[in-house]
Amino acid sequence: MDKALFSYKGIKSVLAGLAILTAIQGAIIIIQAYFLADAISSLFGGDLFANVFKKLIIFFLALVVRQLLTVWKRNIAYRFAARTSKEFRESLLQKLFQLGPRFVKEEGSGQTVTLVMEGIMKFRRYLELILPKLMNSAMIPVMICIFIFFVNIRSAVILALAVPILIAFMILLGLAAKVKADRQYESYQMLSNHFVDSLRGLETLKYLGLSRQHINKIILVSERYRRATMGTLRIAFLSSFALDFFTMLSIATVAVFLGMDLINGKMELRPALTILILAPEYFLPIREVGADYHATLDGKEAGKKIQEILDKESLQQKQEPIPLWKSTSTFSVEGVSVHFPDSDRPALHDIQFSVSGSKKIGVIGASGAGKSTLIDILSGFLAPSSGEFQINGKKLTTLSQLNWQSQITYIPQHPYIFHDTVLNNIRFYDPEATMKEIEEAAERAGLTEVIRSLPRGFETIIGEGGRSLSGGQEQRIALARAFLGNRPIIMLDEPTAHLDIETEYELKETMLQLFKGKLVFFATHRLHWMLDMDLIIVLDQGKIVEIGTHEQLIGQKSTYYQLFKTQMRGI
Amino acid sequence: MDKENWIFPYLRQYRGLFALAILLGSLTILFGGALMFTSGYLISKAATQPESILMIYVPIVGVRAFGIGRAVLSYVERLTGHQFILKILSEMRVRLYKIIEPQALFLRSRVRTGDILGVLADDIEHLQDFYLKTLFPSIISLVIYTVILICTGLFSIPFAILLAVLIGLLIFVGPIISYIYMKTKNEQLKRGRNRLYQQFTDTIFGISDWIFSGKYATFIQRYETQEHQLLELETKKHSFVNWRDVMNQIVLGIIVVLAIYWANEQTVGGEFSPTMIAACGLVALSLVESFLPIAGAVSETSSYQDSLKRLEAIQAESSHPWIEADGWKDSLDLSQVTIEINHLSFGYPSETPLLDDFSLKIGQGEKIAIIGRSGSGKSTLLKLIQGALVPTRGEVLINGMNAHELASTVPKLMAVLNQKPYLFNTSVMNNIRLGNPEATDEEVYEVAKMVQLHQMIMQLPKGYETNMHETGQRFSGGERQRIALARILLQKTPIVIMDEPTVGLDPITEANLLATIFDTLKGKTIIWVTHHLIGVEKMDRILFLEKGKITMDGSHQQLLKSEERYRRLYALDRPLYRSKW
Repeated sequence: MDKALFSYKGIKSVLAGLAILTAIQGAIIIIQAYFLADAISSLFGGDLFANVFKKLIIFFLALVVRQLLTVWKRNIAYRFAARTSKEFRESLLQKLFQLGPRFVKEEGSGQTVTLVMEGIMKFRRYLELILPKLMNSAMIPVMICIFIFFVNIRSAVILALAVPILIAFMILLGLAAKVKADRQYESYQMLSNHFVDSLRGLETLKYLGLSRQHINKIILVSERYRRATMGTLRIAFLSSFALDFFTMLSIATVAVFLGMDLINGKMELRPALTILILAPEYFLPIREVGADYHATLDGKEAGKKIQEILDKESLQQKQEPIPLWKSTSTFSVEGVSVHFPDSDRPALHDIQFSVSGSKKIGVIGASGAGKSTLIDILSGFLAPSSGEFQINGKKLTTLSQLNWQSQITYIPQHPYIFHDTVLNNIRFYDPEATMKEIEEAAERAGLTEVIRSLPRGFETIIGEGGRSLSGGQEQRIALARAFLGNRPIIMLDEPTAHLDIETEYELKETMLQLFKGKLVFFATHRLHWMLDMDLIIVLDQGKIVEIGTHEQLIGQKSTYYQLFKTQMRGI
Repeated sequence: MDKENWIFPYLRQYRGLFALAILLGSLTILFGGALMFTSGYLISKAATQPESILMIYVPIVGVRAFGIGRAVLSYVERLTGHQFILKILSEMRVRLYKIIEPQALFLRSRVRTGDILGVLADDIEHLQDFYLKTLFPSIISLVIYTVILICTGLFSIPFAILLAVLIGLLIFVGPIISYIYMKTKNEQLKRGRNRLYQQFTDTIFGISDWIFSGKYATFIQRYETQEHQLLELETKKHSFVNWRDVMNQIVLGIIVVLAIYWANEQTVGGEFSPTMIAACGLVALSLVESFLPIAGAVSETSSYQDSLKRLEAIQAESSHPWIEADGWKDSLDLSQVTIEINHLSFGYPSETPLLDDFSLKIGQGEKIAIIGRSGSGKSTLLKLIQGALVPTRGEVLINGMNAHELASTVPKLMAVLNQKPYLFNTSVMNNIRLGNPEATDEEVYEVAKMVQLHQMIMQLPKGYETNMHETGQRFSGGERQRIALARILLQKTPIVIMDEPTVGLDPITEANLLATIFDTLKGKTIIWVTHHLIGVEKMDRILFLEKGKITMDGSHQQLLKSEERYRRLYALDRPLYRSKW
């Protein structure tokens, strides 16, 4: 049972509606069984078919009405599920944008997409399935059992006793299967992933000259997997076997006892036949609970997962007015630290510095020193665990401020190119820009030649599935966006680490042009950029170990100096 | 055609198991019917109040036997079905592997995301649903259909024909209409969903841009509108299913009423005893119910089509067949390997050539760095040297033999260290030993020491037996490259090809890794594609490639002396160099 189920909006009226319809349906099921039994026993007694026909018509109508009620209930559940999942999806999307790229990266982009697209669908399916099932299994067996009780106490007792026994067995067998599955889980995982692992690593296997022999391993593992799976299934299927077994055994027992009563003349055929027809109906809702087991489980898990994300604290606090960055503006970071829950060492510790106007600040340090974390904090993708910021003397606890972010151009190592035209990609931030402005931005970013060489110029589709661009060209698209938007602050996170040196050399000119008159934060481990920076922050293990101009830091002969020396020494 | 089919060959191969599963499935349903039949008969017979309980002894035993038998049969049936499907899955995996293996080196350039392989693996899993949820139930219902018709036909041909028509509505007409209706709806839905999927993926990958642009609210709105359109389609499907179910119930009701009418007629005519009326009514109810899910099962077949199409497509596209026999060139001298490239050109028809009249000679132990922008022909050159591509003109000779004719001998000649070495989901020990499966533990320790990982591995909770993926986070980029390097050392090839192994590493890690690489690879030929000039001083020759041609060529010292462009680039990697120059 899922407690969360009762917290959804409008669930009460939905449940009430379903309960009323289910009660009617229960009555219809009894009517249906009664008239079928009545017709048959009358015929058995030698009545003419014409006299019985009316009863059969009632049976027939009951059958149809019963199905119509099922349809009605399904529709109620369907509408409720659609409405609830829509609300879930909207809040989830909203939340995703609030949590930002850091969250997406932690979860995995693919995972996030799957959760929103498929998770929501599974969740909807779950709501759709579970509500009528819950009602049916809670009400119909009880109604049938009470009815039978008034007809024949012994049958009612047999049926009533069968359920707890059945459930107890299912639980026991379920546990046994789980124990066995748990025990095998590790090898199980290994085996089931082996094939995907092999395909992904195929290139490596080929280089090692092993790809051909590896097929024997695939056969071997597949066979082992099959045997392991069959072992688990043998036990897992036992629970549905128990369900079947006890259902069938109870029906058979009821039939035999009814037969005895009939022989002894204690009972008539009609009530006996009614009970016999009702017996499978009694078990049906219980058996249906187990059907679609996986769909139900998946949907429930998805719902839980979505709720977890919705419960996450979002970064966006109160939105403050932040004036546009000018040459007289000041910005300072005061005692900012970042702790990630899964690490004992702070990712950033007591960061403290201040800048003003159009300064270029280089951020340098080894991998894991905290460069990206610092850029993420400054971009508002991450809230500091402690410390604060000041913009023009105004205190802020986080930079997840729309008014701050709308002043920033952010250029990561792999700027994302949308599956769209070159034109739309360049004017992504400024959809209103004129063609002339766009052409000028492209020109300044050094894209004119590239665009001219494309089959449809500005209208060429690029991005995933479109015409592919080289790493350098992708950076130039990002630069064109930046030139077009002309935002006063620029954040760069390793924009050239993956580029070949000639491309980097050419880009450098363009980028330095872009930096003019702007506040720039530039995280990189490419040292040559530092010579063009006004201030350099050297990070080591999350702390600022040095801060100053290039000349000052070289003079100090400390960490920064060592970095340069490593490069000069060569290998 | 047969070759490309992913369903029927397996039915033929495992026909024994298949037939058994069908038989068991049919018996399960028939036993269920028999249970209702005998219990109906039992209580009608009892209602005639026979003198002795012995008169109803046989039906009592029958009721119990059929009840328990049904449960047992359904259990055995499910196991048999899964046994069958798991065997097929094994075969399919092997088949998929044989298709993909020969194309391994080309896949990355051909498909968009590396995950296509995962998708294919999933497709195979999807096909198991086709067998279990559609194929088996459909065939089983045909068997039941036949049994019912034969049984009634023994008594009355016209009634059998009537039943054939009515049940035909349930297992032919309904499913066919459903299939046709659902097919178009499912296709529309899938198209819509795929479009949405792409848009959403695009947005999630570009999420920071959406945030900085401050206009994500418009995206959410647009997304919801599209979701709404899809929901409307689904609602149509939903109500179609609802009405189909109502129709099914109507047919069911008619059949039950008719069965009772017919049994009554037989009784009046003296063919049956009156006890048969209840039996026939109940058996009709139970058996006809088993036909109801067929329409749903058949109409969902269209959802397997995609998986089938993808698998068939990858097979149709495979240009390189799986070669069973290994061609092994014994005559190769592994101690002295010379690579000779003469007037080599390579390109795809109607495109500018990727390599154009390219010549190069590399002697044993020579160390060459290749630098160029993306698209300059670097990777093509590497593939040609590895013999994975066949030159359009000219030749690549390895000790006088054409590289592309060496086939599976190549891994004995050259090892590859690329950007992202793949580490398999197994122990560290096994990952390193992949370089030479015959290597002893001591040899593995030896190479681990050489790449300076031994200490670090020994500190892991299970040492060399630690699973790679459990510690996935613990191995940094540099360490992963060192494991790959250890592998290569075990492989003991005279040539090592390095394809930008240090991209993304910070300068200190990079310098240390390169030092280890050059130290451990002494005496081997090195062909190194690199994106910048860190470490090039150690090379004998540096080649700059542009549009398939060499633009600069020489040792570091030579280039430094003669090329202004080289000096400029070098200054970028040695920022303080210019002040000293």
